[in-house]
Amino acid sequence: MKPAQFDYAAARSLDEAIGLLGEDAKPLAGGQSLVPLLNFRLARPELLVDINGLTELARLERSDGVLRIGALARQAALERSELVAAGWPLLSKAVRFVGHPQIRSRGTVGGSVAHADPAAELPVALAALDARFTAQSPRGRRTLQAGELFLGPLTTALAPDELLVEIEVPPPPEGAGSAFVEHARTHGDFAIAGAAAVVAPAEYAAVAVLGAGPVPVRAPAAERALSAGADPREAAALAASAVEEDHRRALIAELVRRAIEEATR
Amino acid sequence: MGAHAELTPGRFVGRPLPRREDERVLVGRSQFLDDFHPPGVAHLVFVRSPYAHARVISVRPPESAAGLVAVITARDLEGRARPLPIQTPEGAELADEPHPLLAAGEARYAGQPVAAVVAESRALAEDAAELVEVDYEELEPIADPGASDLDLMRWRRAGGDVDGAFASAAVVAGGRYAMPRLVAAPIETRGALASHDPAGELLTLWCSAQDTHRPLRHLAHVLDLPAERLRVLVPDVGGAFGSKGSLAPEAAIAAIAAIDVGRPVKWAEDRLENFLAAYQGRGMEADVELALDPDGRMLAVRARIRADLGAYLLPATPMPPHTAAMLMAGCYTIPAADVTVTGVRTNKVPTGPYRGAGRPEAAYFLERAVDDAARALAIDPAELRRRNLIADFPHRSPLGWTYDSGDYRRCLDLALELVRPRPGPVDDERLVGSGVAMYVERAGGSFEAARATLRPDGRVVIRSSTSPHGQGHGTTFAQIAAERLHVDPADVALEFGDSALVPGGTGTFASRSVAMGGSAIVRAVDQLREQCLQAAAPLLDAPEAAITWGKDGLTAGDGRTVVLRDLAAGGALETGARFESDLVFGSGAYAAVVEIERATGRLTVRRLAAVDDAGTIVNPLLSEGQVLGGAVQGLGQCLAEEATYDEQAQPTSASFADYSLLTAAEIPPIAAEFVESPSPLNPLGAKGIGEGGAIGTPAAVANAVADALGGCHVDPPFTEDKLWKAMHQ
Repeated sequence: MKPAQFDYAAARSLDEAIGLLGEDAKPLAGGQSLVPLLNFRLARPELLVDINGLTELARLERSDGVLRIGALARQAALERSELVAAGWPLLSKAVRFVGHPQIRSRGTVGGSVAHADPAAELPVALAALDARFTAQSPRGRRTLQAGELFLGPLTTALAPDELLVEIEVPPPPEGAGSAFVEHARTHGDFAIAGAAAVVAPAEYAAVAVLGAGPVPVRAPAAERALSAGADPREAAALAASAVEEDHRRALIAELVRRAIEEATR
Repeated sequence: MGAHAELTPGRFVGRPLPRREDERVLVGRSQFLDDFHPPGVAHLVFVRSPYAHARVISVRPPESAAGLVAVITARDLEGRARPLPIQTPEGAELADEPHPLLAAGEARYAGQPVAAVVAESRALAEDAAELVEVDYEELEPIADPGASDLDLMRWRRAGGDVDGAFASAAVVAGGRYAMPRLVAAPIETRGALASHDPAGELLTLWCSAQDTHRPLRHLAHVLDLPAERLRVLVPDVGGAFGSKGSLAPEAAIAAIAAIDVGRPVKWAEDRLENFLAAYQGRGMEADVELALDPDGRMLAVRARIRADLGAYLLPATPMPPHTAAMLMAGCYTIPAADVTVTGVRTNKVPTGPYRGAGRPEAAYFLERAVDDAARALAIDPAELRRRNLIADFPHRSPLGWTYDSGDYRRCLDLALELVRPRPGPVDDERLVGSGVAMYVERAGGSFEAARATLRPDGRVVIRSSTSPHGQGHGTTFAQIAAERLHVDPADVALEFGDSALVPGGTGTFASRSVAMGGSAIVRAVDQLREQCLQAAAPLLDAPEAAITWGKDGLTAGDGRTVVLRDLAAGGALETGARFESDLVFGSGAYAAVVEIERATGRLTVRRLAAVDDAGTIVNPLLSEGQVLGGAVQGLGQCLAEEATYDEQAQPTSASFADYSLLTAAEIPPIAAEFVESPSPLNPLGAKGIGEGGAIGTPAAVANAVADALGGCHVDPPFTEDKLWKAMHQ
C-alpha cells in the first residue's frame, strides 16, 4: 500500500494552484480520502497540488448574513466554531459524525464536498441548507447548487482544472430548528443512511437524505407536506417512498422522522 | 483436587498486579517487526492473484525496474522448497492439499502469492511488482461451500447408543446454525525479516508470530534444514488472536529470498494483504439435533459440521473444526453423541485458528440447540441446563475427552445473578430478549519448558518456552516465580522469543500459557529452590531441613540469614524443567440482555455477564482484561464482523471501510467474575482464560436475540437488515 510515483507541488497562490491542476493532477488538502486512494493505487495522479499553504482558503466567517466556508477550512474548525453553532447548528451537528476526531482535525469541509462520497455527512447537511459552491478555474469562477454539483458516487461537476474554493451557506429561516441523524454500523464508521432536517413548523421545511441514492437528495414532497403542517411520520414516509429495498426504506423513514422530530423539539 | 494444588495463593499469585509491560508500550519503546532496519535490508512484496481461480500460464519478470533486486517465481522454488506441513487432528482424513509457497500452475484464491519481488524499498518493490506480467486463464471459482464437492477433511466420531436415544426421545430439537468467516485483524499485521549468514550456515528469521517453535519447525520442513541451522526470534508482537500461529508462506519466501540475494530481506505485510491472505477464522455451519426425554434430560446429540476451509490446508486449518466437533457434548451429561466434520474446498483464503478456534462454534451450535429444546419443551432455558449439567469430575464425554474439574452450576447461577434484568424502559418501540449460554473448552496439553537462573547479582531470570503477543506473560510469570522464591516480582526478569535462548516448547495458543508455561516455571523454580537450599546449608552451617525461607532470605535456626545474592556469589545457579500434561477444561456461563429496535432492526446489547472458570487465577486484573478483550471480539462477531465474498469468490470486505471493528462506543457494561475450580493436572491448578470471552459471548447474545424474536433463529452478525426482516416476515 504505497502510492504509485507522483510529482508534488506546494502551491504558493490560488492562481498557481489552479494553473497546475488538470487531467492528471489532484489537489491535496486534508488527504483523508485521497491518501488512502493513492495507497490502494486506485488514484494515480501524476501530480499532487498541495493547497494546504493557501490560508486564504481556510476562512470561516459571516458576511452579509451568509456563512462563508473556505474550501480548506478543517472539519474540526467547523465543529468548534461558535459562529457556526449559533447560526448554522445543523453543520455543527453533522460534522460530529464525520469519522473520528483525528480525521476531522486534518479533513477539510471542501475535501468532503469535492470527494462526493455518497456516505458523507457534510454534503447532505449543506444540501439541506441550500448551500452554494464556488469553483475557480482558468476560465473564471462559477457557483453551483448541490443538485448541480453532485452527479454520482465520487463524481462532481467540477472540471479537472477546477478547484472548489468556497461554500456559501445562507442563514436558515428565523425560528427554524435543525437536526442531523444517521445510522452507521459503528461509531465513526461510514453511514448506511442518514437525514438532515431544517424545520419551522407549518412554515418552512428542508429535508435531505443520505443513503437514498448515489448523491445527497432533497425530499421535496416531504418538505411540502411538512410546510402544510403534516405529521413527521407522514412526511418521513414520503421522503423514503422512492427507496426500493424494504429495509432501507423503513430505515430512512425512521431516520427522517427522528430528524424532523428533533428539529421541531 | 487438593493433592496437586501445590501453590496456595499468597503474596503474589492471585493478586491484581498491574502489567509491567505497559510502560514500554505506552512510551513507544516497543520493537515490532517493522521497527527493525538492519543495514542493507531489501524489501519483499508479492504479486498476488487477482482471480479467485485461474490457471497461471506464465509469469514474466520485468527486464529491469528501478531498485529491483530479484524476482522469485514458483519455478525458482522447484526442488528446493516444500509446501508448508499440515497438522492432522486425531482421526481426521485429510486431502494432500498443502498451501504452496507460490502458485504453480494454478491460483486458487484472490490474493494468493504468485511471484515475489525484492527491491530497495517497499514502494519500489510495489512498483516493480506491477511490471511482472502474469498470464492467467480464468477458471470457475467456488464461493459457496454448500456448492463444493471437494473435500479437504473428513472426520467422524460416535459414542454411546445414539440411535436408541433418538428412537426413545420425547423431543428432538435443533436446527442449522452458521458462523461466518471472520478476520483476526491484529493491529500489527504479519511480517518476517530474514538474514542468512553463509559462513556460519545460520538462517535467522525475525517473525511476528505467537512463538518461535512453530515457525522454526515449519521453516525447517519447508527448507529441509536441521533446526540447528535456523534461529527464530519473535520481537514485540501487536496481537495475533491465533492468526500468527503458523509460518506464513510469505515468511518462508522471505527466508528463501535472503539466501538468494545475500542480504537481509523484510516482508512487512500491509493491511490489504492481511485482509486478502492472512488465514481467516470460523466459517462453519452445523445441523444439530438434540434428543431429550419428557423431563428435559438430554439423551443424545447429533451434529454434522461443514467447514469452509478455503483453497488449501495450512498447518492448523484442520484444528478448529476438530475442536468444535469434540466439544459438541458441551457441559452436559449427554450419554451419546455422533458428530461428523466435512471440510470443503472453496476458492477463498484458507481458514485457521482465530480466538476460540472451534470453541465458539461448538458453544454456538450446541447452546442454540439447547434453547430451541427449552422452547419446544416449555422449560426455562436456565432450568433445562441445570437438569443436565455435569457435576462429577473427572467426566469422560461420549466423544472421548475427559473434563478434569469444574463447577458448572455455580457458573450458571452467578451469570444469571450478574445479568439479572433490572426494570428498564420497555415499550412498543423495542423488543427485549435475554439469553444464557454455557461453554466448556480445552486448554493446555502437550508440553512447555522453562529455565530458571539465579544470577550473581541476586536477580532471577526465567527463560520461558511460551512467549507473549500482548497477554502479559512477563507480569504473570514473574508473579509465579516470585511467589515461590520470596522475592519481589520486579527482581524477576523474563526472557522470551529467541530460539537460541529459550528451551523448546509447543507454543502460545489455545489459552495454554499459564497452565503449561507457568507450570514449567513452577517446576524450574522449585528445582532452583533446592539448589538454593543446598548452597545455603554450608553458608549457614545448618542442615537444609532447618533452614526457613522468607522474604528476608534463608534463615537458620540460630537466626543467621543469607540472601539470594550470597548464594550465587560463586557463580550463577541454573535449572531447567519441562512440564507435560493432558488437556485441561475451562468452562463458563455468559448471559446477555439485548434490545432490537422495531423500526430499524438495530440490535443493542444492553448488558453482558461473563463468568469464567479457568481454575486458579494468577492475576485477576490481566484475566479480566482477557475476558473483556475476548468478549469485545465476540460482540464484534455479533454486531458487525463478517468476511464476505461475491459470487466470483472475490472478497468484498477487504478493508476497514467494509469490515467494521467495534469501537468503545458499542461496548455495553460487562460484568466479569471468576469461579476457580483448580485443575488437578498441574501444580498451579490453572486452566486457560484467553478465549472464554470470545466463546461465551456469541452464543449468549444469539440466544438473547432469538428470545427477543420469539424463538426465530438468526445467525450472526445480527445486522439490522437481517433482524428487521426477521421481525417483518
